Amino acid sequence: MRAVAIAGLAALLAAGCQREERDLRLDPPVTAALDQVAPMANAVGGAPPDVLGALGEPYEGNAYNLSEGKRLYSWFNCKGCHADGGGASGPALLDGWWRYGSDPVSLFVTLRDGRQNGMPAYGDKLTTEQIWQLVGYLRTVGVSSASFAAPSRNDEMQSRPAENRAPASAELGTPPSR
Amino acid sequence: MRPHPRLAAAALLPLLTGCTGPQSALDPQGPNAASLAWLIWTFTAVCGLVWLLVLLTVGIALWRRRASSGAADEPLRPESATERRKQGVVIGAVVATVLIIATLTLMSFVATRSLTASSGEPLTVRLRGYQWWWEVTYTADSPDRFVTAANEIRVPVGRPVRLELSSGDVIHSFWVPSLAGKQDMIPGRDNVLTFTAERPGSYRAQCAEFCGMQHARMALVVIAMAAPEFESWLDAQRQPAAEPADEEQEAGRQVATGKACAACHTIRGTRAAGTVGPDLTHVGSRQTIAAGTLPTTRGALGAWIADPQTVKPGNKMPMVPLSADELRAVSAYMAGLK
Amino acid sequence: MTASTAGFATIRQSDGHDPSGGSAARWGIVAAIAASVGWLLLSGTAVAQESASGFSLRLVGTFRTDNPNAHLAAPVMAGGRLLLLTPFPHRLTALRLGPEGLHPEWRFTPETDRMAEGTACCGLGVRSPAVAGGRAFLNTADGRTIALDAASGTKIWEMRTADRGSGESLASSPLPVGDKVLIGNAGDDFGVRGWLKALDATSGATLWTRYSTGPDEDVGIGPDFAPFYKIARGRDLGAATWPPGAWERGGGSVSGPLMADTGLGLVFHGTGRPAPLNPDQRPGENRWTSGLFARDLATGAARWFYQLAPHDQHGVSGTGPLILADRDWKGRARKLLIHVGLNGHVYVLDRISGELLSAEAFAPVNAFRGGAAASGAIAVAQEKATRVGATTRDVCPAWTGATSSEGAALSAETGLLFIAAARLCMDIEIRPANYIRGTPYLGANVRVKGPPEGGAGELVAWRLDDARPAWTVSEPYPLLGGPLWHPRGFVIYGTLDGWLKALDARDGRLVWQQRLASGVVSAPMLVRGADGAEYVTVLAGRGGAAGPAAGLEADLRDATAARGFGNLLRGLSAEAQPGGTLYLFALP
Repeated sequence: MRAVAIAGLAALLAAGCQREERDLRLDPPVTAALDQVAPMANAVGGAPPDVLGALGEPYEGNAYNLSEGKRLYSWFNCKGCHADGGGASGPALLDGWWRYGSDPVSLFVTLRDGRQNGMPAYGDKLTTEQIWQLVGYLRTVGVSSASFAAPSRNDEMQSRPAENRAPASAELGTPPSR
Repeated sequence: MRPHPRLAAAALLPLLTGCTGPQSALDPQGPNAASLAWLIWTFTAVCGLVWLLVLLTVGIALWRRRASSGAADEPLRPESATERRKQGVVIGAVVATVLIIATLTLMSFVATRSLTASSGEPLTVRLRGYQWWWEVTYTADSPDRFVTAANEIRVPVGRPVRLELSSGDVIHSFWVPSLAGKQDMIPGRDNVLTFTAERPGSYRAQCAEFCGMQHARMALVVIAMAAPEFESWLDAQRQPAAEPADEEQEAGRQVATGKACAACHTIRGTRAAGTVGPDLTHVGSRQTIAAGTLPTTRGALGAWIADPQTVKPGNKMPMVPLSADELRAVSAYMAGLK
Repeated sequence: MTASTAGFATIRQSDGHDPSGGSAARWGIVAAIAASVGWLLLSGTAVAQESASGFSLRLVGTFRTDNPNAHLAAPVMAGGRLLLLTPFPHRLTALRLGPEGLHPEWRFTPETDRMAEGTACCGLGVRSPAVAGGRAFLNTADGRTIALDAASGTKIWEMRTADRGSGESLASSPLPVGDKVLIGNAGDDFGVRGWLKALDATSGATLWTRYSTGPDEDVGIGPDFAPFYKIARGRDLGAATWPPGAWERGGGSVSGPLMADTGLGLVFHGTGRPAPLNPDQRPGENRWTSGLFARDLATGAARWFYQLAPHDQHGVSGTGPLILADRDWKGRARKLLIHVGLNGHVYVLDRISGELLSAEAFAPVNAFRGGAAASGAIAVAQEKATRVGATTRDVCPAWTGATSSEGAALSAETGLLFIAAARLCMDIEIRPANYIRGTPYLGANVRVKGPPEGGAGELVAWRLDDARPAWTVSEPYPLLGGPLWHPRGFVIYGTLDGWLKALDARDGRLVWQQRLASGVVSAPMLVRGADGAEYVTVLAGRGGAAGPAAGLEADLRDATAARGFGNLLRGLSAEAQPGGTLYLFALP
C-alpha cells in the first residue's frame, strides 16, 4: 500500500516537471515564412505570418526568446537612442504610445525596414528570428499587465521597473501626460 | 571462471592511454604542470598507501575479533596488555596522520608558490571569456600594435606567459592541463595565471567552470612555437585582413561585409567592425573554429556558417540565410583570411 | 503710442566680446541701419513681473515658432532683421519690427532629410546662423551647410557637408572669416570621425578638411606644429594612441564654438570626446580627442594642441565655451584663450603658445585631481575611473557637461567671467559597445543626479585673475543656456524651468525676474535699435520634459532616459504649450 502511494506521488511530481521548450534552431522554410508579414499600406499594422500561430506564438510567451530579445536590445545599440525604454533621441518605448503601432507586425516592420523619421533598418543586420525575439521583448518593456513569461533579470544597471513585475500597472506609475 | 592475472593486467592497459595526449594533466609539458603532476602522484601514492594500511588494520582487527571469543564474556573490562597495545596503535595513527597531512599541506603550499614564480620577462596576454568563446589580446608598448584574436593562444617556447584573465559575462575558468592548473575567470575580478611551455607543440585547453549551454564546447588551443617563429606570427597577425585572391573570395568579402556578419564580427581592413563576436581578421590561420569545435577547413567553415545552431545549439551566432553561392563564396573568403 | 520700424544691431554677443573689435566672432557682425522704433503689441502668455531698484525689462513683443524641439539658436542680427532659426526641421525667419509687432519679412525652409532625426543629437537643435558680407550661413541637423542672401533670403548655395549615413550631423554655428566659412561636425555618440572643414564662402566648395584623429597628414600636424606640452609631440599620434583601426571611428567631433583671431591668423576649437564612451575598447591616450586645437586660418594646419583629458573616461570632451581676451595675466600682458571646460574647470591658456596658465574648478568635481601636471592635463582620480563591467557611482561632473557650449560670458572691465553652470554628478556603468555604422556607439548606461549638496544649477561669477568665484547664485535645475552681460552691471540669464532673471553683477542680488512660456536653452542677446534704445531678446523653448537632451517623447520613469537626465528632471512639469517663443524686452 505504501509502495503504491509513493509510486503515485513520484509520478505526480515527475509530471509537474515540464521544462520550457526552447527552439534553438528554426528550419529555413519556417524562417522564410516568418519573414512574410503582410503590412497595411501605411506599413502600420497588418496580418502576422500564419506560421507564428502554428509555432504556438513562441515570441510572446517563451522566456528564452524574451531573454534573447533583451540581450539583442543591448548588443545592437538600441540603448543609444531609446535608453532603457525611456527614450533619448528616439521615442520612449515605456509609455505605451507607439508612433508606428505596438502590435507585433508593426514592430517587426519597424525593425526590419526602419522608419522615415530616423529609425535605421535592421533587416541586413539581424536575422528574422532575432527580429522576432526583439519584438517579443519590446512588448514586455512597457507592459501594463502581467504575463507568465518574462525576460531574465538585468545584468546591467537597473534604471526602471523590471519587466516581470506584477501587478504591472500598479508599480509603473502613471505615464506622462501628452 | 577463474580470473586470469595476465588477462586482467592487459585489460587495464587501455586505461593508461588517458595519461598522454595534448590535454593531459598527467603528461606535463611545462614546469607548472610538472609540479602539479608531481603533487598528483605524491598525493595518490601517499593516500593510497594510507588507504591500504587502514584496510589492512581493519582486516586484522576483524580477524583477531573472530579469533578471540573469550573477550565476549566481559567486553567492558579492559585487559591491561591489549589495552596498552591498542593505545599505542591509536597514538601512532594520530601522530602519523598529523605528520602526513602537515607534510602534504606543506608540499602543496610549496608547489602552489612555485607556480607563480617565473624567470625572465613574461609575455602578457589578456584572455577574456565570453559565452562560449575566448577573446585573446596581445598587448604591446603602444596600442596600435595590439593584436586581438580569438580562440587560440600562441606562445613562445621557454618564455613565461602571464595570462590576465577576465570574463565578459559569467564565471568561466581557463584550464590547459598539459601546461598549468585551472584559474577562474570571474566577471569584475582580474586573475592572473603564469605558465611556461618547454617544448613546441599544440596543447588543448578548455573552460573548466560550467558557464551555460555550450560549456562543453568552449575549448581553446595553446600552441608553443620557437621565439622567432612566434614573433613573425605576431607580426602577421598585426596586418589587416588578407585581400581576396580571386573572384569567389571577393564575392565572399561582399557577403561578409554586407550581410549580418559585419554587425557582430570585425575583419580589420574592411568595413566589418562589430565587436560582440570573435575577431575574424585571421580566422583562416587558426587550427580550430567555434572555440575548438571544428577544424579550420573551408568545408567546416561552410558548415558552421550555414548552421551554427546544429553544431553548437544555443550559442549566440544566428543562422543567417545565405544562398548556396553566397555560402561557397564566404567560406572561401574566410578560409583565405590567413 | 505710435512707432515705426526699427533696425537692430547686435551690440554685444553673449560672450562679452565687442564685435566691432578686430577679431571675428561667431555670430554676425552688422552695423545698425537707421530706422525708428516701433511699439509692439503685447502677446503671448501671462507674465509675472517683478522689478527692483534701477533695473527692469519691459516686454515689447513676442513671436512664436511652431517647432516643439529644443531652441538652441539665439537670434542674430542681419541688416536690420533678426534671423531666427528653429530646430530641425528647420525654418529660418527674418523678423522686422513693425506696427503690428515682430513680423516675419521672409522665411527660408530648407529641404530636410527626415532620417536625420535618428542621428541628430541634442534634441534636434542647431546653434545660430552666422552673418557676414551680406550673407547668412547656417548649418542643418541633417548635414547641410547653406548660404543665403541675408536681405532677401534667397539661397546662394547649399552643400551636403556631413555624412548622415555614418551618424554625422552639424550642431554648431558656422564661422565666416575672410573668404571662407569654417564648420565642424557632430556625432561622437555614433562613432564618427571628427573634422573641421573650410568652405569657400562664395561657392561652398570644400577647401580643406582637418580631422581630429588619424595620421598627421589628415590631422594637419606638420612642420608648423609646436605644442607647448611634450605629450603632444610624436609621429602619427592620432593613430598610434589607438588600437588598430579604432581612430577611424574615434569621435573627437568639432561640435563646439569656433573662435578666430584674425590678427594672429589662427582659429581655435575644441575636439569632442573619444568614441566609444567605453574606455577599455580604446586603450591608449586617444589623441587628438578631448582637447583644444589652434590651427592656421588659411590652411588648417595645427599650430598647437592642449589635451584636456587623455584617454577620456568620463565622456566630458572639449566642446565648451571659448573666449578670446587680451589681458594682463600675473603682471604681463598676454593674449588669452579662456575655455570653460565641460569637466567643470576654467582653463586659461596663452593662445599664442598653448601654455596652460590656470585650471581651477568652478563646479563640484571629484573625477579629477586639481592642479595642472607637467603634461598640462589634470590627473584622473583613480577611485572615479571607469572600466567595462563596473558601475562607478557619484562621479562629478556628469558626462552631459558642467556647462553648455554657449554657457559663459566675459566682462572685460570687471574681470568677471559669468558661467551658467550645471552642477551634476552621475552613476555610470560601462558595457561593451558594438560598432554598427549609423547606430549609436556608446557602451555606457548613465544616470545623472544632482550634486551632493546645493542646487543642480548655478550662475557663477568667476574672478578671472584670482581663479575663484566672486559670488554664485543657486538654481534648482541645471543651467543649459548662457548668460548675457550688460555693461550697466547686470547679468541676465534664462533657466530650464522658464525664469528669465537679472542679477546685480557686483553681488549676485536678484533685481528682476519674469516667467516665460518655456525653459531657456540658449543665451539672451543684446541688440540696439536705430533710435539707440537697447533691447534684450530671449528665445524660450526647451523641447520637452527632458530639455535639449531628448526628443519630445522621453519617458522619465527610466532613469537613463534622455542621456541620464530622466533621473534628474522628473520634477520638471510638462509644457503647457510646447513650442518656442522669442521675447523682445526693452531696457529702460
